[in-house]
Amino acid sequence: MTNASISVNNVSKSFRLFHEKRTTIYESISGFFNRKQNYEILKALDNVTFDVRPGEMFGIIGKNGGGKTTLLRIISRIIKPDSGSVQTNGKVIPLLALGLGFHPELTATANILQSSILFGIGKKEISSKIDEIIQFTGLEKFADTKIKNFSAGMQMRLAFATAMQVKPDILVLDEVFAVGDLDFQTKCYEAILSFKKQGKSIIFVSHDMNAIKEHCDRVLFLNKGKVESIGEPNEIIKLYENFSKSHSGEQVNI
Amino acid sequence: MRAIIHEMWDMRNILFNFAISDIKIRYKSSVLGIIWSLIEPLLLLGVLFFVFSTLFKFEIPNFPIYLLLGLIIWNFFKNSTNFALSSLVNRTPLLTQIYLPKSIPAISACLSASIMLIIELGVLGIFMMILGYTPPITVILLPLVFVMMLAIILGISLPLSVLNVKYRDVEFIWGIIIHAGFFVTPIFYRFDMLPEYLQNIFQFLPTIQILTMAHDLTLYGTLPSVNTVAYSIFMTAMILLVGYGIFRKLQARIVEEL
Repeated sequence: MTNASISVNNVSKSFRLFHEKRTTIYESISGFFNRKQNYEILKALDNVTFDVRPGEMFGIIGKNGGGKTTLLRIISRIIKPDSGSVQTNGKVIPLLALGLGFHPELTATANILQSSILFGIGKKEISSKIDEIIQFTGLEKFADTKIKNFSAGMQMRLAFATAMQVKPDILVLDEVFAVGDLDFQTKCYEAILSFKKQGKSIIFVSHDMNAIKEHCDRVLFLNKGKVESIGEPNEIIKLYENFSKSHSGEQVNI
Repeated sequence: MRAIIHEMWDMRNILFNFAISDIKIRYKSSVLGIIWSLIEPLLLLGVLFFVFSTLFKFEIPNFPIYLLLGLIIWNFFKNSTNFALSSLVNRTPLLTQIYLPKSIPAISACLSASIMLIIELGVLGIFMMILGYTPPITVILLPLVFVMMLAIILGISLPLSVLNVKYRDVEFIWGIIIHAGFFVTPIFYRFDMLPEYLQNIFQFLPTIQILTMAHDLTLYGTLPSVNTVAYSIFMTAMILLVGYGIFRKLQARIVEEL
């Protein structure tokens, strides 16, 4: 598909799973002479291919350790795939692990400024929007509080509001609403809906099957780094639930 | 190389943002704030001046200025490499959450140190006025020495920042090198006070060449020889090239090691 907003082609990624990680020079030298392989290869992603269309909310589901976060990191350019490629059409803003790279020692306002500059918004442009962002989060009282004193939910509010203001073309969300309260979740889904209407895409990872069912247009089930299936939400969720039941005795391999 | 310069230009705003917030964080909840960056070298100046002019009776003309200039240049080297060393490790949350060129933290660390250098040079100027010292005209070439120094510092800082992610003992090794470097560099003595065999070895250190040039330009009004300049430029280029090479090789998978 040529007009996809994200196209992921044959992406594979392995990690070395060190049993005892060598982080000092001495350990490296002694390990070099003592060539016992002290790691195993974990294939986090195995030949993953899919497209996300403009205006689509694309869900990704799967067990813990199934490769979801690795996939999102590769799409967001944070890590590089071993093989395969990712093409994105426009600005990708990832919201992974509750932050936009917030610095714990800086205030909310300073962090909004830093993140906006990181995503290429001019200083002047953003200073006029800071009030708007703070207002969206409902954290007016905490504008000059350091992030380290924020709760997870508050951090997420700030990150989401900032992400929406820097005008992304693609939003990558990793289990972000789990820490938000109901009011804010509703607010976020409204914002996402209007975002979709502008023809922009969202990748949404969640363990909340109701949310996936309700908001996603298509869903991908990622199982041990492989694409199990892609399709209509109800169908894929059923598949995933059946799969989980039949494998419930199995250990999570992480 | 052009792509890098292009990327740096795009990132100039974030470089300054990081540099300034680094300074702010460094002096957070201290009453005197950035003034500490001035008090520290001045106190060290006082101690060294007392020890070497009173106890050891060194006779270097304009000794206080000689000392302060050396201390400021050494501080610049020490600060920027130390800031850069931990720059990637300190920004772990950021680097694992969004994309950022891996050179940005180290370069912005050098920028923070450069800002502090400019403030300290201001103090040197005030110090000269108080002592009624007028530097020779050659002092206008001093900024060129700092540009060369900055290039050397970048060539060391970039690989240090990634190496410290891979091997955390780099931090301790570098601490020892900085400590030794303070005594090897002619900050509180003149290079020609050293025994000849040491001079022959140490003269190859680029930091010593830089410091000697700075002293010549600010205190003696003499221009460095063509040989010195050529050698320094050559060494600077080598350090930058090798350092960047190491950095480039290690940076690709560095986020996975954080």
